[in-house]
Amino acid sequence: MTQSYLSHLECSGCGKQYSHNQIHTFCPLCQSPLLSLYDLKRARQNVDRDEITRRKKGMWRWHELLPVLNEENQIFLGEGDTPLLSLPHLEKELRLSNLFVKDESSNPTGSFKARGLAAAISKAKELGVKKVIIPTAGNAGGAMAAYAARAGLRAHIFMPKDTPFANIEESRMAGAEVILIDGIISDAAGMAGEKARAEGWFDVSTFKEPYRVEGKKVMGYELAEAFDWQLPDVIIYPTGGGTGLVGMWKAFAELEALGWLEKTKRPRMVSVQAEGCAPVVKAFQKGAVFCDFWTNAQTIASGLRVPKSFADHLILQNIYDSEGTAIAVSDESILESQKQLASMEGIFAAPEGAATLAALKELIKQDWVHPEERIVLFNTGSGLKYLDHVS
Amino acid sequence: MSSNILYIEDNPDNMMLVQRALESRGYCLLKAVNGLSGLQVAQQEDVDLILLDINLPDIDGYEVARRLRSSSKAALVHVPIIAITANALKGDAEKALDAGCDVYMSKPINIRELWARVEAFVPMP
Repeated sequence: MTQSYLSHLECSGCGKQYSHNQIHTFCPLCQSPLLSLYDLKRARQNVDRDEITRRKKGMWRWHELLPVLNEENQIFLGEGDTPLLSLPHLEKELRLSNLFVKDESSNPTGSFKARGLAAAISKAKELGVKKVIIPTAGNAGGAMAAYAARAGLRAHIFMPKDTPFANIEESRMAGAEVILIDGIISDAAGMAGEKARAEGWFDVSTFKEPYRVEGKKVMGYELAEAFDWQLPDVIIYPTGGGTGLVGMWKAFAELEALGWLEKTKRPRMVSVQAEGCAPVVKAFQKGAVFCDFWTNAQTIASGLRVPKSFADHLILQNIYDSEGTAIAVSDESILESQKQLASMEGIFAAPEGAATLAALKELIKQDWVHPEERIVLFNTGSGLKYLDHVS
Repeated sequence: MSSNILYIEDNPDNMMLVQRALESRGYCLLKAVNGLSGLQVAQQEDVDLILLDINLPDIDGYEVARRLRSSSKAALVHVPIIAITANALKGDAEKALDAGCDVYMSKPINIRELWARVEAFVPMP
């Protein structure tokens, strides 16, 4: 049995190919993110989607389409196969008939970041990396610390000093060296990059290594599987670094190439940001290909406080290609939606997840979604990690 | 006639990357490795756009931008300035824009974005 059909890495900007057997960050020629490419022709012949469905639950049951070549290097803490829940009370309230939430809070470390970091740390281990570094708005740091601990790697984290307390403590508990900085994630990214270059740490910043997006893309596989190999009409996704949005779009392309989808109509992708930090929304409204750096970024949703993603052009391209949209919501509407999700459906969502419900309400007002459409919100993490911010 | 772009940057790797990228599009790159020599080149040459690193070995990029904007050479008061930093300090972007820069970019510089940003001010020759 082939463990992985990974064939090579390819630059998302200039198309130059790189070997997956060597450590890479991003394209040194044009400084765009690298993406993993698989031999999908061979996978199509040899891999049975229904056999994957029968396997033991977890992200790694999709191992043929993930980048780790040797099973021994898979670091597994239970990530993946999060529930896709219907939202009957909100459906009634909003006069919709097919509303769901993909609840990522049940991942290890309480957020969707576990998926990406499981893939990245596993691959880093496979390639012989000994120490990893990350700038984070919070949850990615906690996830990296946990997976690095499990993999036996040293971990160093730069995070804003106003990061939720849970993220700071979970990172330290897992043995990571945590530096709290007076700034936001873009400032942390500069410091992490500097330390990585000076001391030889491997930088697992969003899209500055090729594999986090591979873990995140599995959310797309799981959605297709849950809907009997059809895709929803609309996916509403909170966008900071944008790995999940780009990853799912990549997953849908791979599923099409594998011939696994019953219908190939793809969803309209909705990128949700906070009004206090909405570079993707601003760029989308202008029809731009890149985002301007967002100055004075402020929002209670720390995961959305990303002034400019390294993969902004991929995020925007995916939104345009999907005929989707981008929408900014206020912190007040995020908090109101967080209460609604908890009190009506029993889901204590992270502010970033609650932002998707706030966005949906706006989209209904704009008649951008239709009552009968199959709509999926993404709750990217547990509200329990933000108690100091929401209480 | 090619357009002159002045890049003020002390890191040779970044300088080489940007030089290759812009010359491949027909621009002429003028180079300066610190703030004061950058100001000198800007005074002496016809410059259509300035790429300005913020962390320079002598005066920082903010000061360079301020001096350009208050220059007696009228063209420099309005020349487009794109600030480029490793954003290692809080509020780099805000400070760069306050100092008179038109656009802020953070490293690593995506070459396609650089082309787009430059072309927005100076059409490809």
